[in-house]
Amino acid sequence: MKKLYLVLRSTAMLSMLLLLVVSCKDTDSTPDLELIPVNSVTVDGVTISLFAEKEIETGANDFYWKVEEGNSSLEIQSFSITPMMEMATMSHSTPYNDPALFEENKSYYHNMAVFIMPSGEMGSWTISFEVETMTGKMLTGEMPIEVNSSWKLTSVRDANNNNKVYFITWLSPQKPVSGNNDLKFLVHTRETMMSFPAVSDAELIVYPYMDMGGGQGHSTDFTTPVAKGNGMYEGDINYSMSGVWTTSVQVVMANDTLPEAMFEYSVLAK
Amino acid sequence: MYRFYTTLLVFFAASAALGAQSKTFTLLDQNTHFPIVNAHVLDSTGMVITTTDEAGLFRVNPERNSRITIRSMGYLSSTFETVDLDEVIYLVPIVFKMDKELIIEGSEEKNNIHTYQHHATHKDMDRFLDDIDGVSMIQRGAFAWEPAVRGQSDQRMNLVIDGMAVFKACVDKMDPITSYVEVNNLSKIKVDKSGSNVAENGNGNATVNIITQKARFEPFEMNLETTFQAPNQYQAYRLHASGSDSRNIHALRFSGNYKSSGNIQAGNSKEIENTQFEKLNLNLYYRYNLASNHSLELNYITDKAYDVGYPALLMDATRALADIGRLQFNFADNQQAFRFTTAVLYANTVRHSMDDYGRDVASRTVMRGMYMPMYGETRTFGTKLNGEAKIIKHDMKWFFDAFTSEAFGDMKMESLDPSIADMLVYNMDEVHTRNISLGLRQQLQLSQKLNLKLDKSVRFKSVQTTSESYASFFEGLYNRNLSPRNRVLLSGSGSLLWMINNNWSLSNTLVYSERMGNHMELFGHYVYNYTDGFFYDGNPWLDTERTINIDLNSTWKTDDHSLSFSVFTKRFFNYIDGIVFEDVSNNDFQFKQYANVGGALMMGGELRTINNIRSKFRLENRVSYLYAQNIELNEPLPLIPPLHGSFLFTYTNRNSLVGFDLDWAASQNRIATISSIEDKTDGFLIAGINFQRKWLNNDLVTILELNNLTDHYYHQHTSIGNIPQQGFNVMLTLRYRYGQK
Repeated sequence: MKKLYLVLRSTAMLSMLLLLVVSCKDTDSTPDLELIPVNSVTVDGVTISLFAEKEIETGANDFYWKVEEGNSSLEIQSFSITPMMEMATMSHSTPYNDPALFEENKSYYHNMAVFIMPSGEMGSWTISFEVETMTGKMLTGEMPIEVNSSWKLTSVRDANNNNKVYFITWLSPQKPVSGNNDLKFLVHTRETMMSFPAVSDAELIVYPYMDMGGGQGHSTDFTTPVAKGNGMYEGDINYSMSGVWTTSVQVVMANDTLPEAMFEYSVLAK
Repeated sequence: MYRFYTTLLVFFAASAALGAQSKTFTLLDQNTHFPIVNAHVLDSTGMVITTTDEAGLFRVNPERNSRITIRSMGYLSSTFETVDLDEVIYLVPIVFKMDKELIIEGSEEKNNIHTYQHHATHKDMDRFLDDIDGVSMIQRGAFAWEPAVRGQSDQRMNLVIDGMAVFKACVDKMDPITSYVEVNNLSKIKVDKSGSNVAENGNGNATVNIITQKARFEPFEMNLETTFQAPNQYQAYRLHASGSDSRNIHALRFSGNYKSSGNIQAGNSKEIENTQFEKLNLNLYYRYNLASNHSLELNYITDKAYDVGYPALLMDATRALADIGRLQFNFADNQQAFRFTTAVLYANTVRHSMDDYGRDVASRTVMRGMYMPMYGETRTFGTKLNGEAKIIKHDMKWFFDAFTSEAFGDMKMESLDPSIADMLVYNMDEVHTRNISLGLRQQLQLSQKLNLKLDKSVRFKSVQTTSESYASFFEGLYNRNLSPRNRVLLSGSGSLLWMINNNWSLSNTLVYSERMGNHMELFGHYVYNYTDGFFYDGNPWLDTERTINIDLNSTWKTDDHSLSFSVFTKRFFNYIDGIVFEDVSNNDFQFKQYANVGGALMMGGELRTINNIRSKFRLENRVSYLYAQNIELNEPLPLIPPLHGSFLFTYTNRNSLVGFDLDWAASQNRIATISSIEDKTDGFLIAGINFQRKWLNNDLVTILELNNLTDHYYHQHTSIGNIPQQGFNVMLTLRYRYGQK
């Protein structure tokens, strides 16, 4: 019986220790780069492959390129691209930058492209590339891609400036979830069919809103994005619940306020 | 299942041969030599093994219980060795209990000065608590009222079952844990209004401890009871049975309760929609006595409520489930300098589902045009250890308490407009509360007439959410990085008793308390508060709320008369309350965030008198008053009951009892209009009458109650949404007892 007594006493003590232990749980983890292949082209025995984090869509897309000869990476001197939309009567490019070595994983070259329209009956997208190897050899080619439409890009025209068009891209969050999210926009304008400079000196007015039906709705906690350079505007948005939200964005220029652009999207619970 | 019941019946039948070696003792008052009835006789582990009868008689087996302790309200507890003990035992009367607890016996039926309520077993727990002076009930309908002690409820009081922490799962407070113990399973309620038992309660908050019935080592006994009430078609069926084996090794107690009700009818024959409910409660208790005088207890409660209407709220509970388990080891007495008394392991889970599918959501003003099914769940595991220790020649009692609890709650919103997608909000997600506390109690006899009790507690409390997305909401809201919110909390109390003479005592209690915000105040999100119409967000960075409570009590008592008068004042610092969050508020949705808003003050008192006249007539009078003020806003705190009280007159003869009761309340004109949106409440006076008759050698009892005789339409100030009380109603109870006398 004394044994039972000791067992129970030990159990009681153990339970106390367990309570302490469960409060010290570690949840650290490192995310991996998960990419999907988009397309690849082989030129003179060198394969140029394009990967992306998701299906390519209107708005901002991160591109990851591989340049391989056989199964090994090929060192290169330069890498440039030009996305082009070929339409029946015209063609144009879109905001983008050239690939550069991806520091977090040096087997890739990384760049961003903001597609201002989707592929479809209106036209199709190709990316022409030019790669210079360490031996000075130039590799050129074209890679057709499919661009889907999304809610993450909208455009407005400045009626006070010859209807100059501005592209407002919802950069972040890519997958809005309940809770706090980085809120980032890219703003570009169109100078020519091949030139889409970033607009970095504007102010943004944003207002998130949830329409709950019946004429009711509410906003949520957020901080207004501010200019960070290269057309980037950063703030944050704290979604109080999942469901369909809208966020209006107004670009305020030096002496001009552009019409309101609207993003409508779903926020996930988790 | 059939085999289980058969085994149970055989077990109970075998228990009839109990007590061959028992010895009979008589317990008398040392001054008057009158029998002391209903005194509790405890074994060496503190377990009640029997009670004295009307002649002060009780039986114990000296071989099994070599040492017993006898307790009775109004008497000094005494411990005796039973082997050579005289057959007549005397207890010394006192007028003060050092633990400052008001103990309300749940199953007393004797009409004597020591009992508080004597014919209440047919009442629901809600009504039972509502009758206690200093306790008010916050009501959201006809079911599951939420108790408040001296105006403090929820996070500002401890509400425990057998000392166990059990947390409600409903963020709208539809499931206070009082609903999980039925009155026929109630042994007693310990109400510590000032929170002075700091060592035990861990934080100095007012405490209500609901203590359940234990199995006794007595012959088999079974009680059947049924109650019907009209016009609300309330019906209740209750059964409890207990027994033990002939060797006093095993004891078992089982109780089952089923009750249901239709809509209540308020005064003037006005039916109140959505006040129906249906509920099942089962309780099993087992005790095993070890040969080494240790003992083991196992207790399991399951409570299932369905279709519970809450007219004050936007929705009704479709399902409320609670499972509560406890394993307790009682240590035998020993003389070691450091010793254990009991060790408890417990676990419980509460699940709560509600929706508004049965409501007209299209035309309501709040959350219009959408259904909002909600779900909540809490899971708690804990341990409680206590014992005694001798530290530097001082005897102390020590209490160790540790628990961990996880809370979850969400609300879906389904718009009637098909173009609006469903929405989901987490009210709580992976919110963990962990608590470890150690308390010490010391009693000092300063002189023959002066006693001092000192309690102190140190507590570590941690609250956090392990959901990254949920945590990010608070990080974004307050623009701070969130880590587990940890606090070391200190509390202490001192109670000084002056025994002026054998009939009169004065006592003074000082309590200092530190309170960390609870999981709702820290991590609640979009929690709708029905008293002010705001949605509340938690604030993980709340400072510790501190209080100082001063309590004065005077008690005068003779054999037939008692008068107890208490006054108190409590000052809050860093008072936690909601402040308006205007950035996202609009006409449809208004939001508040919890914050430390400054100071608050509470003052009040209770008066209770009991008079027995010629042992047949009994008068009870109870009056309570509470003044509560938000100092920063310079307005009253919300949900504070007005001056109120009750009067009870009973006449008892051999087999009958006639009772007449009055419940009254003054109007409440002190209302909160800034921090809440209260309205004034009219006073009321409600009369009731009841008849009780015993038959068949007291084995059959019938009780007839006529309540609210004038069919007055009224509501209490603490009724959210001004939901009225029942109008005229009739309740009939039949109770039959089977077993050896």
